[in-house]
Amino acid sequence: MTELNITTNPENKAAVVSLLFQLADDDFLYSFRGSEWLGLAPHIEEDVASSSISQDSMGHAAMFYQLLEELGLDNADALAHLRPAKERRNSILVERQNGEGYYMDVPKYDWAFAVVRNYFYTAAKKIKIESLKNSSYEPLANVAVKVNIELYYHLLHWKTWFAQLLNSTEDAKQRMQAAIEQVMKDFGDVFSLGTEGEKMVEIGLIEEEKVLVQRWKEQLKPVFESLNLSIPEIPASPAANGRNFEHTEDLESAISTLSEVYRIDTAASW
Amino acid sequence: MSVLERELNEHEKLEQFIARIEAGDKIEADDWMPEEYRMALIKLISMHGISEIMGALPEKEWVPKAPSLRRKLGIMAKVQDEMGHGQLLLRVAEDLLKPYRKDRGDLMMDLFSGKLKFHNVFHMPAKTWADAGVIGWLVDGAAIITQTNMLNASYGPYSRALHRICAEEVFHAHHGESIIMALAEGTEEQKQMLQESLNGWWEALLMFFGPASSTTTGSSKQDVTIKYKIRTSTNEELRQSFFTKYIPRILSLGLTIPDPTLRFDEEQKVWIYQQPDWTKFKQIITNNGPRSQARLNLRRVSYENNAWVRDALSAASN
Amino acid sequence: MEQKKTFYREFEVFSKRTPSSPFLHQFSLLAPNAEMAMVMAQENFMRREPVADIWVVERENIHGLSLEEKAALGRLDNKDYRETKGYGYLKKKWRYYQQKMFDEKEILSWSGGNKHD
Repeated sequence: MTELNITTNPENKAAVVSLLFQLADDDFLYSFRGSEWLGLAPHIEEDVASSSISQDSMGHAAMFYQLLEELGLDNADALAHLRPAKERRNSILVERQNGEGYYMDVPKYDWAFAVVRNYFYTAAKKIKIESLKNSSYEPLANVAVKVNIELYYHLLHWKTWFAQLLNSTEDAKQRMQAAIEQVMKDFGDVFSLGTEGEKMVEIGLIEEEKVLVQRWKEQLKPVFESLNLSIPEIPASPAANGRNFEHTEDLESAISTLSEVYRIDTAASW
Repeated sequence: MSVLERELNEHEKLEQFIARIEAGDKIEADDWMPEEYRMALIKLISMHGISEIMGALPEKEWVPKAPSLRRKLGIMAKVQDEMGHGQLLLRVAEDLLKPYRKDRGDLMMDLFSGKLKFHNVFHMPAKTWADAGVIGWLVDGAAIITQTNMLNASYGPYSRALHRICAEEVFHAHHGESIIMALAEGTEEQKQMLQESLNGWWEALLMFFGPASSTTTGSSKQDVTIKYKIRTSTNEELRQSFFTKYIPRILSLGLTIPDPTLRFDEEQKVWIYQQPDWTKFKQIITNNGPRSQARLNLRRVSYENNAWVRDALSAASN
Repeated sequence: MEQKKTFYREFEVFSKRTPSSPFLHQFSLLAPNAEMAMVMAQENFMRREPVADIWVVERENIHGLSLEEKAALGRLDNKDYRETKGYGYLKKKWRYYQQKMFDEKEILSWSGGNKHD
């Protein structure tokens, strides 16, 4: 494989940067939403177990931000904390709040929404990471190999919750169905590669969106079949495309929380 | 196999039990034990366990706000450990509660009704990032002192849980030290944030070890726990040990301890200090502290809000 | 068996550190079923150590000993005929025949295959 030229080809570099921001911002927000659940999960043992998934995901975000830092962008912490919502590349799926209420007050988070979002997101992440293992940008391919190791557990974990709840009481099934609908509304930009998407595919950074979507469906198929459910359709045109900086208000408040202490003094060592 | 020998009477069982404890043997969940011992363990361990669960709440407030990726990861792992310690301890308490047919759900109800108390420190607000550091450094430091004091507890399951817990507490202490060290060596604003945090936590830290004797607040379980070799040192001995270990470190960082009367008396070989307000202590631990009701409410709402999940899977568990 | 409908079923967790190590008991957890117990086991008890395998066993399937029954575990210290120390005199005998004694260390060292040297 010939090495991808990003040093003298600014278009190539822009595509790499855009993709890395998508991956980094996705996991950063996903982990944040998970961390808001700390101490509030339906069961203590589950609180402990799912916290590991949030930690792993923050670790993945840190690796992606690190790749950006190595490309000469700002340092990883500044990239994670200081960029305003209008510069973020994450999917709107992961920025959505966990349910009613702010985590510092008395939130009423929805476990069905958490399970469905986490399962569908993790399944999508797994498909992307598998594709990225063959990325023409070698540093990214190397990180993908590492990230992939931890996704087996994440996927098993959320698949178990998903299947068990959909196999239980009528009440639980209804809540899960409602959650599936809610999650799918925001699923339109998960596989989107944004405006630089064509370039990304052309230079072999990642495979194209429709291939990834197809694999995602294939992956979910056995689980859905065992539950007698049909795989929900991904909206053709997303309400907002986070890959192109279109976001909801939930992201603004998330970022202000995430950077509250960091912003007190960005030059200080914390 | 009990047909081989005649059943021991209650008095003989007690004698045998005391002899085992004296010999350093470990009592297990299914062994016979005097009611007083069981009750003392349940009270101690369920309070210890639920305190860990409640203790996750002030710190989790700082997880998303932690000021770097590394700090976010560190404090997330720490809050996870607190929940994990709660898990270990509640499992030990739940096994002791079996004769009363009580389970985890009942413990949560006892917490909500005010019957089951949690440690005074977790009724306090964590106002700044420095508080997240001081909790790890000094509150966990105090916890390490009380927990290592019980590492060789006569009750085997508790002792084993504490061995796991104390190993992780070492990480918590380092995590806390790392946060406060950065603040102590940081800007004037950071230093001030740290000093204010210490000022805010000092009294709660003194209270953490409990009153020196039952005459102070009207009740103390320390006598029973020492009698049954669950712990070795008294509350005051532990507090003194905390002073000896931590005062030099606090001062070495240029911090001021908010007690002008604090000094080491060379003759008596003890630290002389301003007693915390023990009336306030009683108020706090009866759920009338600054954040008591808010945290209980958060715990109650999240427990009830998620009840459908537990109902769904218990119905399906066949 | 009639299973009480509860979310709080008790599972004992065992794990292996490496593929060649034996299973060790870790701790117990509550879960509504074995599958759920399994997805929570590693992160609850083995967050900081390598794990090669896990068992979760519902506690009611474990048969143990009561305090009285543990008396059955006692035995006298007169069984050196079961152990190598009861045959220590052989060392001297073999020396007489100008041979080396195959002791435990020697025998276990054959695990790498027998070499003729």
